[in-house]
Formats: sequence, structure tokens, C-alpha cells
Amino acid sequence: MTLLFPLAGAGCFALALTAVVSAQEVPAGVVVPRAAAAAQTNPFDTARDAELGRATFVTSGGCSYCHANDGTGGRGANLTLGEYRFGGSDLQLFETIRNGIPGSDMPPTGGPDEDIWRLVAFVKRLGSQGLSEKAPGDPAAGRIVFETKGGCKACHTVGPDGGILGPDLTRVGRRRSLQFLEESIVNPEADLPLNYRAVQVTTASGETVTGIRLNEDDISIQLRDRNGNLRAFLKDKVKQIRRDQPSLMPAYGSVLSKKEMEDLVAYLSSLRGTP
Amino acid sequence: MSTRRIWRLPAVLAAAVSLSAQSPVTYERLLNAGREPGNWLMYSNTYNGWRYSRLAQIDTGNVNRLKLKWVLQLRTQEKVETTPLVVDGIMYVTRPDNDIIALDAETGRALWTYEYRNPPKLYPCCGRVNRGVAILGNRLFMNTLDMHVVAVDARSGRELWRSQMFDYTAAGGYAATGAPLVVKDKVIVGMAGAEHGVRGFLDAYDAATGKLAWRFNTIPKQGEPNYTWLADSGERGGASTWNTGSYDPDLNTLYWGTGNPWPDTNGDVRLGDDLYSCSVIALDPDTGKLKWHFQFTPHDVHDWDSTQVPVLLDADFRGRRRKLLLWPNRNGFFYVLDRQTGEFLSAKAFVRQTWAKGFDDKGRPELIPGNEPTPEGNVDIWPGVDGGANWMAHSYSPLTGWLYTFAREEHRVYSKSEYRPPTIEDEVRGFHARPAFAPEDSFGKVLAIDPATGAIKWEHRVLTPPWSGVMATAGNLVFGGTLEGNVFALDARTGKQLWRFPGNGPVFAGPVSFLSHGRQHVSLAVGDILMTFSLDGE
Repeated sequence: MTLLFPLAGAGCFALALTAVVSAQEVPAGVVVPRAAAAAQTNPFDTARDAELGRATFVTSGGCSYCHANDGTGGRGANLTLGEYRFGGSDLQLFETIRNGIPGSDMPPTGGPDEDIWRLVAFVKRLGSQGLSEKAPGDPAAGRIVFETKGGCKACHTVGPDGGILGPDLTRVGRRRSLQFLEESIVNPEADLPLNYRAVQVTTASGETVTGIRLNEDDISIQLRDRNGNLRAFLKDKVKQIRRDQPSLMPAYGSVLSKKEMEDLVAYLSSLRGTP
Repeated sequence: MSTRRIWRLPAVLAAAVSLSAQSPVTYERLLNAGREPGNWLMYSNTYNGWRYSRLAQIDTGNVNRLKLKWVLQLRTQEKVETTPLVVDGIMYVTRPDNDIIALDAETGRALWTYEYRNPPKLYPCCGRVNRGVAILGNRLFMNTLDMHVVAVDARSGRELWRSQMFDYTAAGGYAATGAPLVVKDKVIVGMAGAEHGVRGFLDAYDAATGKLAWRFNTIPKQGEPNYTWLADSGERGGASTWNTGSYDPDLNTLYWGTGNPWPDTNGDVRLGDDLYSCSVIALDPDTGKLKWHFQFTPHDVHDWDSTQVPVLLDADFRGRRRKLLLWPNRNGFFYVLDRQTGEFLSAKAFVRQTWAKGFDDKGRPELIPGNEPTPEGNVDIWPGVDGGANWMAHSYSPLTGWLYTFAREEHRVYSKSEYRPPTIEDEVRGFHARPAFAPEDSFGKVLAIDPATGAIKWEHRVLTPPWSGVMATAGNLVFGGTLEGNVFALDARTGKQLWRFPGNGPVFAGPVSFLSHGRQHVSLAVGDILMTFSLDGE
């Protein structure tokens, strides 16, 4: 039985995080929250509710068509970052799911309020997977590993400082589980965000440039090189594009001791940013 | 400089603009922006407010080969008023609601997108618009509709700092829509809201930290010199600063236009000159201290903001070399001031006007009776409420020595509003000037003005009063666009239209020109699509 259904648009073509989308006020005529939805906090926010929300997300809600089963996005926004363009409060998430996003491919969603609330419960947990865990290591010692032996700051930003080649880690402890954090250090290619995939471009004149792929079509490819410069190449002037080493990040499994690894994970887990 | 020499410049620069590497945009580079014709480093291209491109690959002889090369779909229902910056092959464009897109200027492909999160309810008078970013080093600066200034890493799109300018819900609501101007190590930022009973100011922020360096209040406090308002009416008297100013490094002086007094069309509650509304203010950019001011429209009741871009020119005027300030004003007169002293030199109408019979030697207008808004609506006032000029960029060409402006002849109704105190709930609007547009008595015209005499050298008429800026180039062309979306190139010497493209969307922005892969391009937002043209589309 179809529990929820997209109200508009052909399917659930949701908002791509990197796409340019409209941020209009909700125009007249769009479904507005019903009376029960006016609650500021989610009345259906237990672990069980979130689990029911997940079931809806991947089945009748049609959400995973764009946001992927694990919420990491693709055609739609990555929901595991804990960052929501249209607001991350319970009510704002409710309204975004209920009304959709005018001017984007994210359609309104029908069905009873409680099902929308359960989706909110699930989506919020997607973006705060690290909040419930307590890391065993020492975050202060982990910070030293991060800034010295690990050399992590060369590529990663924490707060205002750091490099721009890798993802911003300012809030990584909020959104990532301990297991995920450790896996990312030991095996960076295990779960690589689409917008951080490495490419190596060799131009017709023989220049080779390695960097992170930012955009690409049949005509051109754009990347950020190892020095942080933005680069663009027309494909008819390119000899070769290699993608066989998808991550620029080295694997640290054999570089760090068990204690250092534990401390580093504890440090990363402590990076919660501001909510 | 001859056209021939300019022609060679692009070839020399070609290697530097192939998107191979970006060097930080130092203040030195901004000072010498005119020597980097392949780039567009600030809102008006150069500090003098000329919006003039020294590129000459596209000229009067070959402009008929201009073709659309790529577009950027901005996907918005708002007006697109942005002026893109181009730095070493990368374009930085803002879209309404304060997003920044960095893109490859050769293909239009996005490199990164910065999305600012505005609250759903905002208080701009005239759309959720933005006019562009400023750059210094590797940092882009943008002001936001909810009254913040943000610094964003130009390489990654990551936010570096965010400073609140003011509570955007104060009075009847504040907003910030203009493009900032970087001077030395400071980011100069204006604000809007003079339709909502705000008190105007101009801010400077430290580019490194985002800390407020100074604030100039465009309305003095009661008891201070130049407080020229009835009772406490200046506290909500408007005088906003919503467009971008210009800067003279030799005089170390910042020039910025100010907006209308509030309530817009009801002056009874604010008797007096209402300084510094409808003025140009000349400030020390280091301290924000006022050097001089000149008020174009004392006690304005017509919403004639003086927020036009100041145009700075050193030229002979009545037999004497002077540092001039050129100003086609919303009130319908083309002004020439001495920018060292603020001295009034001349004013000449460039559109139909009914309100001033002349000026005294200080530049104060002598008013013609019968030009006041009335409760039932006065239909006999020219120029119309949106003015003979508005915020749209003018352009000055050193080749012809003329100033180009896209002027408006528009028939409107001026209705006097009732006074109500400004509140955020009430969404009070100070003006009620209904349009009375009819094609037979309202139109637009690109003008070439001789600054020395105010004489109009030629005129190119268009159907509808425009909202597009113009850009003159070293190819002796003037680019712009109409409200119907015709993008055009005129011969800067004769006004003859040499090329046009049916963009079929309203133009609310100003054109820019730059080099990509050594070839000259012209970009202009038409509707919600940024269009980029080049010879043969190559």
C-alpha cells in the first residue's frame, strides 16, 4: 500500500546539494502544515519512530530515489552532513518534507502528519550519527596527532584553519559514527564523497595535474589541484583522464599506532561545531 | 592610448588567463585593475566607477559575429542584478538570496557553490536581490539580505567569517543588497531599507577578521551639525546606501551615494533638508570621517535616491584641469562636481523634468510649484518615481571622452502617503506611486553625454524604461540590454546599433567583459540566465 506519495513533479527529483536551486518563500497554494504540525518539537521522535521513518524513507516515501538509502544523496542533497539549507529544526524539516522546495525537484509529500514526523526523526538522526557515542581515546592527544604526525591540517579544515583539498571536519564528530571515522582514516576509499574524488588530467601538451574533481561534462572537466588552485580543462585538449586512485588521502592504518588511532578518532569525534 | 596598442594586450595576457593558476587579488591589483583588462576585479571594474573594458578584440567591425557561447541557469524568479567578477579565468556570480557560484569562465561549468541561508521572511523593498561580491586576496565578500557580511574562501567556497551588520527586523526592516567595495584592508558595505523607516549607515569591516572598523551614519544625531530634520524624524529618516561607491586613491577619498528620506512621498513629518539623504558623501576610507557632502535633492519627496555609481574623471572643465565627479541623478539632472571639494560645477537635465527651474551657485535647485505628490495622485511630475537614472551602472569611455547612461523617460503617478510609524508587522511602505506606463509617453534611451558641457552627443531609444547597466569598451562599443531582453551593442561614437541578441527576459544587471583562453567575452544576466557571448561563440 502506498503510504506516502509525492504530490508534484515526476517522481521524487530532490535537490542536489551542488545544484543551484531557488530559495523562495513558499508561495501561496502550496500545502502548509496542519494543526498538529505546528508543534515546535517532534512528537514522534523515539528510536522506534526513527526506524519507522527509515522504512518510509527507503520505500513508500520515495526519498531514497534521490537521497539514497543511507541518506548520502546523489541526485538529492546529502542528508548525513547535518546541514539543511531550509533549516534543521524539527518544524523546519517537517515543512520542507511536507511542502517540498519550490523551484527545485523536491516535491511536496502527502500522508498523515505522524508519518512526516517519523521521517523527520530519521533524517535528523542521519545528520547526527556521532552524537550518541563516547569515544574511548584522548581527544587532546588526538589533536596533536592530527596537527603533527598525521599532517591532517594540510588538507582538512577545522574551524577557520586548515587546507581545502579534503572535506571540512569542523562538525564531523556530530555526523559521523566512531566506526565511520576510523574506517575513513584506515581506508579513505571505503566511503568517498562524490565531490572529493581524485582525478589526474594529462593535457595534450604533456602537463599532468592531479586534483579533486569539482565538475565535469562531455566538453570539459574542472578540478581543484593539490595546491588548492581551481583548474579547468577542455576535453579536446586533454590526452588522458585517470581515475584509478579515487582518493588523494593516504591510508593511515600502518602509520599510526593503535593508541594514536584511538586518540585521533576521539579528537574527530569531539569536533561538533555549532548545532 | 591607441586602439592598436590595446588590441595587442590580450595576446600578451593570454597565458595568464588560461585558468592555470590564481594568484591572490592583492590591494595593489585592485588599485591597478585597469591594467588587467582580462579580469573584472570589482563591481565597476575599476575604482573610478567607469565600468569600461579596455578589451578591443570585439569592435565595431566584427561585433556582428558575436554569438552566445554559454549560459548559466540561475533558476530563480527574482530579479538578477548581479555583476560577476572574473579573476584569472574564474567567474564569481551571485544569485538572488545570497548564493555565490564560482565557475569556469570558458564553459560556465560550476566549480563550487556557496549557499547562504536566509530566513524565509525578509524585508527588502524590491526583491530578494544581490548585486555581486568583492574580492581581496583569496577572499570574496558578500552582504546578505538579513544584514550580515560574509567572507568566503574564493578557492573552496567555504565561509571564513560572518558578521552581523544590524538587526534586519529593526524599524520596518533592513536589508543589504549591493556589492561591497574593498579599499585597502577594509570591506565597505552599504544597506537598504529607506522605504521602511530605517536610519541609514555605511560600514567598513576588517577584511581579515570581519570586525567592524567604522560606521558612518548617513543621518547625524539630533544636535549634531547638519541635523536638518523636524524633531526626531531623522531617527527613521532612511538615507540608505544600497548601491556601490567609488574610490580615488590619490585623494584617499571614498564616494558613496545615499538614498531617499522616509517617508518617501510625505515630507510633512520631516521638514528640513533631511541631510544626508539624496546626497553624495565623501569619506576618509580609513576612518569613515566625512570630508564633504553634496545634496542633490534637498527635502526629497519623490523617492529620488542618489545611489548611482559615482564616476570619477580628471578632465578640463571650463578651461581648467579638474578632478571631477560625474553624476546622472535619479532626479533627472546630470551633475558635475569638483570631487576634491564637493563644489557644484554644473547641472543639466538629461530627461524631461518639471520640478526645477535652475540652480543657485551652490547647486541648490530652485523649485517649480505644483510638483508635490498629492493624496489623490499627481500625474504631472517628471521624471517618474523610478527616476531619469536609477542604480544601473553608467560607463565612461576614455576613447570618446563621453559618459554613457541608460536613461528613463517614464510617466508615473505620485501619491502622497499617510504617515504611519514603521513597524515590522505593518510592513509599512513609504511610497504609493502607481505606474502609469504607456508606450506612447514612456521609453528608455541610451545617452552619450559630453561631461564638459552636459551636451547629449547621441541618443539610442528603446521601447521601455530600462533597468540595465551599460558598459563601454575599447572596441568603441556600448553594451546593454532592454527590459524585453534585447542585448545590444552600439557604436560608442554614433549610437548606431551594430548587434543585438533576443534574450527574451528582463535585464536588471550590468554587462562585464573579460578574457578566457585569450579571447574576449561579454557577460550579462538576462532574465535568470547569465549569458556569455564571444566572437563566433569561440
